[in-house]
Amino acid sequence: MLTIAKLSYKETLYKRIFLITILMTLAYVLFYGIATHYAAKQIGDQLSNEIGAAQMEQQMLATQLIGVGLYFASFITALLSILATVGSIAGEIESHQIDTILSRPLHRRDVVLGKFIGLGGLLVIYAACLFIAILLVNLNFGGALHVSVPASSMLTGMLLFALQPLILIAVALWLSARMSTINGGIILIILYGIGFVGGFLEQIGQALNNHALVNIGIVSSLVFPLDSLFRRTMSQLFNSANDPLNIAAQGLFGSLAEPTTSMLIYTLLYGVVFLLFAMRKFSKRDL
Amino acid sequence: MSDIVISTWGLTKQFDGRAGCRDITLQVPRGVVFGFLGPNGAGKSTFVRTMLGLLHPTAGRAELLGKPIGNIEARRKVGYLPELFRYQDWLTGLQLLETHAELAGVPRSLRRERIRHLLERVGLTGRENDKIRGYSKGMQQRIGIACALIGDPELVFLDEPTSALDPIGRREVRDLMMDLRREGKTVFLNSHLLSEVENVCDHVAIVHKSDLVVQGEWRKLSDVQTQVEIRAEGVSLALWQALQHLIVSAKPLESSVMMTGSRWLIQLSHEEQVPDLVECLHREGVRLYELTPRQPALEDVFLHWVGRKEAEHAHHRETLL
Repeated sequence: MLTIAKLSYKETLYKRIFLITILMTLAYVLFYGIATHYAAKQIGDQLSNEIGAAQMEQQMLATQLIGVGLYFASFITALLSILATVGSIAGEIESHQIDTILSRPLHRRDVVLGKFIGLGGLLVIYAACLFIAILLVNLNFGGALHVSVPASSMLTGMLLFALQPLILIAVALWLSARMSTINGGIILIILYGIGFVGGFLEQIGQALNNHALVNIGIVSSLVFPLDSLFRRTMSQLFNSANDPLNIAAQGLFGSLAEPTTSMLIYTLLYGVVFLLFAMRKFSKRDL
Repeated sequence: MSDIVISTWGLTKQFDGRAGCRDITLQVPRGVVFGFLGPNGAGKSTFVRTMLGLLHPTAGRAELLGKPIGNIEARRKVGYLPELFRYQDWLTGLQLLETHAELAGVPRSLRRERIRHLLERVGLTGRENDKIRGYSKGMQQRIGIACALIGDPELVFLDEPTSALDPIGRREVRDLMMDLRREGKTVFLNSHLLSEVENVCDHVAIVHKSDLVVQGEWRKLSDVQTQVEIRAEGVSLALWQALQHLIVSAKPLESSVMMTGSRWLIQLSHEEQVPDLVECLHREGVRLYELTPRQPALEDVFLHWVGRKEAEHAHHRETLL
């Protein structure tokens, strides 16, 4: 199993997709840093001109800015997780690379688990680094828009953020074990899109007190709970900042109603169940 | 240690009731090169993939090295070179062998030496640090053979192992198979190349249209007809017609003007008829210079058994009607 984990890990590192992602991520962090710097500078000037300027506006901008940064970071991580994983079994079956590996004394479930560990380990590290990079940009270049979050909240937020690729990888492995790379990729991207749109609709519904929109958001979270994990990350970061204004200030990228612990448990179970499904499906199928 | 390394009982793998392999009952003794012979699409690869657990059988059962297929222990001492060999081309040859050594459970202390030895054996020494994507097809097949042997297997499945090799490479693989046999290993050779099987196999099974036609020792299987080549003086077609009760057929062969007499290929029903033939020729006043028993070519044997099986099927169908 560990050999497979190592192989999957190396494969992602050796392939150009990872190198390109790293370079584009650096470009993104740089761009985000520049944007944060100039936004903070302008707000800082305004604040010094307007004595007693609205603290609420400042807070809203700060959390919106970090919300945008983290949301796009979550999107990149999700995309990389999908691209790296959805062909990891299907592609090897299609090319027959898996044949010689499975002719070894190895359980098929160990192959799936090995891939989960290899890819998951890599993407968790990537997600955690990206999360830290966005927060560091805010802390160093945020100026007046700098948010103060306790270290414990930051750590919990990071763990929740880094959990996202694991859930995606579990679902991607299940799809990869049962269908072609392209079909699996399309399904997963659409599922991710449903969660993405559902999350926004839920926030709008909360703001407008529209139950229909809230319910759509809840259903989409049950179908694909990745967005709720992101919302939980945001509320973890800002709800614990001891500032009641933050709750209202997070807007579309935050969470007007924090996903419950039950939802968090559901999300974890969702990932575990899909990983078990992936192992079962791969063990039963013909190659 | 059992003397049988592969046993199958009615092993069947069908795809929606079609193709694959059907009702294969087979026994492969230890320490032989076993030829699994049949035309393309006969079900040879399906059989091997089922034995290795890549396909799940639809009926029957099988054992590898005394353990049921599907059990990972059954694959502990097995090597495999697939027909459609594709390896992680972003690895170097050395990294690929190291990965497979790890998967096969080769002790760390033995890995380096075994890899060095295998690279030498397949003629890839000096190219081990090149990426596999830079290898030619023949080199990929060679690294595949090294991969198959990395776990020091007792049984090696080679599925069309020379398909990408040039004549020199083919000869090297034939030598390798004979070396493996000398080392006491069993080689299960899947091939549609009759010449490949004929040159190295002790035991042969013939598959045709998913069915096992026949299996056994090549020497016995090839004993389907007795042929002798003779050179004699005073022989004519009329003589052979007169000996119809004894011979199956007589075919003139090319003769040299420098030779005395003419050359003929005579087919008899049984080997026991050879002395009778000599006696008859002597009685008829024929002067016999040479009589050489001729081994039938594998192609003849193959066609004989396939033809026989088809005739049996036809007879069976007629009986049912």
